Amino acid sequence: MFLLSFLRVIKFSLQDIVRNIWLSIITIIIITLALFSVNLLLAVNILTTATVSSVKEKVDISLYLKSDAQENLILALKSEISNLDSVKQIDYISKQAAIESFREKHKNNPEILQALLELGKNPLSPSLIIKPKDINNYDELIVSLNKINNNIIESRNFDDHKAILAKINNIAEKANQAGLFVSSLFILITILVVYNAVRVAIFTHKREIGIMKLVGASTWFIRAPYLISGMIYAFLGVITIIIIMYPFLSLIQPYLATFFSGFEVNLLDYYNSNFLLIFGLEFLAASLINVLASLVAVGKYSKV
Amino acid sequence: MIKLSNISKIYPPDITVLHKINLHIKPGEFVSIVGQSGTGKTTLVKLLISEEKADEGKIIVGGWDITDIGQAEVSSLRRQIGVVFQDFKLLYRKTLFENVAFALQVCGEPQRKINNIVPQVLKIVGLENKMNRYPLQISGGEQQRVVIARALIHRPKILLADEPTGNLDSINADEIIEILQKINKFGTTVVLVTHNREVVNKLRKRVITIDNGLIVGDQAVGKYAL
Repeated sequence: MFLLSFLRVIKFSLQDIVRNIWLSIITIIIITLALFSVNLLLAVNILTTATVSSVKEKVDISLYLKSDAQENLILALKSEISNLDSVKQIDYISKQAAIESFREKHKNNPEILQALLELGKNPLSPSLIIKPKDINNYDELIVSLNKINNNIIESRNFDDHKAILAKINNIAEKANQAGLFVSSLFILITILVVYNAVRVAIFTHKREIGIMKLVGASTWFIRAPYLISGMIYAFLGVITIIIIMYPFLSLIQPYLATFFSGFEVNLLDYYNSNFLLIFGLEFLAASLINVLASLVAVGKYSKV
Repeated sequence: MIKLSNISKIYPPDITVLHKINLHIKPGEFVSIVGQSGTGKTTLVKLLISEEKADEGKIIVGGWDITDIGQAEVSSLRRQIGVVFQDFKLLYRKTLFENVAFALQVCGEPQRKINNIVPQVLKIVGLENKMNRYPLQISGGEQQRVVIARALIHRPKILLADEPTGNLDSINADEIIEILQKINKFGTTVVLVTHNREVVNKLRKRVITIDNGLIVGDQAVGKYAL
């Protein structure tokens, strides 16, 4: 009997969606628009996080060595530094590599190249480029590097980096706080819009709900079709938003790539690799709001 | 079949609609409850289907004390009493067949039984050829016949008809009363609530008169006396 009632409830739900097709379409459109807003917000958050991470990733420490430092001593120092816990990666830039990189960088500036030629020797020092494991432990790395006592180190002035890092961390923190505030506000508005859309949809059934109760339908039997309709609306809303989002992301990705050139920002890749998580959560959240709104609205109108 | 003992109903703040009503309706009776608008007739029907709760007294329907029944039992009570409303109360987005079938579906009756019984009941009220239409595609008299079919589908022992002819012309009203009489002949207790003098006088059945929340008359073969 439970199975029979359950199947009837599903049938009533589908029948109701089809027979009130315009109301159903409007409800789905409202859910889709709400989800579109959520996805836009998500995209902005992804871009902010990715940009800040990329900037942090680019922060490294250059340890300049004496021009005449021997290769074996440099490699020994490199090995010593790479053993530090706070070091993620260390690269050795030899004098030769440094001059080649310099020439490449200024290949369109004949004056600089000419000046270099007139010097007659390589003026650049070898260096070790150190990337910290965690940007937040930057201070710890500086302390460790300062403790190393090696004659081949020519310069270990890290103050500029500290200032830049402080600025980056400050911007990141403010961006996070603003993002959290805007997200919370947006999500609250979205919840209210969807909640009211479902309540209005059920309000149009107010008379029917009363009649069902008067002919002996239990509250569960009246409520269940609306709960299922709510989940179907959420599902169709998510399907629609998937259909909208992918062409939208494909369209804006080239512009984003140009705008964020030099940073690893790819929204399409992010959506692809988190497809189930993003749209699964959106479906669950939309269903939950719909179910809650249905429970409240039907409960209100079935008190006869 | 129906027994009301000292029933009172007061709406806030202090409007007494029914005052210490005592009433006993035997099985198989056809009883008309008459009175002018606002005298408490519809409230009486609402008490019998537990749409309202009495403030005082005791209500017994078919041997069941329904005075203080809970929400879960209300559904069960309504499945045992057929009710015909003045404003029809049909589900406009369901066909006539689906409207009548709904009363069985809420009880979990198998579809085969529903497919078998619903056309039979619609035939009794003369709507077997219109069962795939929607309520707004038929006349008021036909809508009221659908409501009677829905009320009969459970084969209830009691049929409550609250102003069933209130929205109908005299020809349709006569048809509805004829159907109610037929139903009564099959053994169903019929309680007709009305303020239609002509209908009551034609019936020549028991008449209970309510005025200002009090029973002011109860005649075995009565007439509309107000």
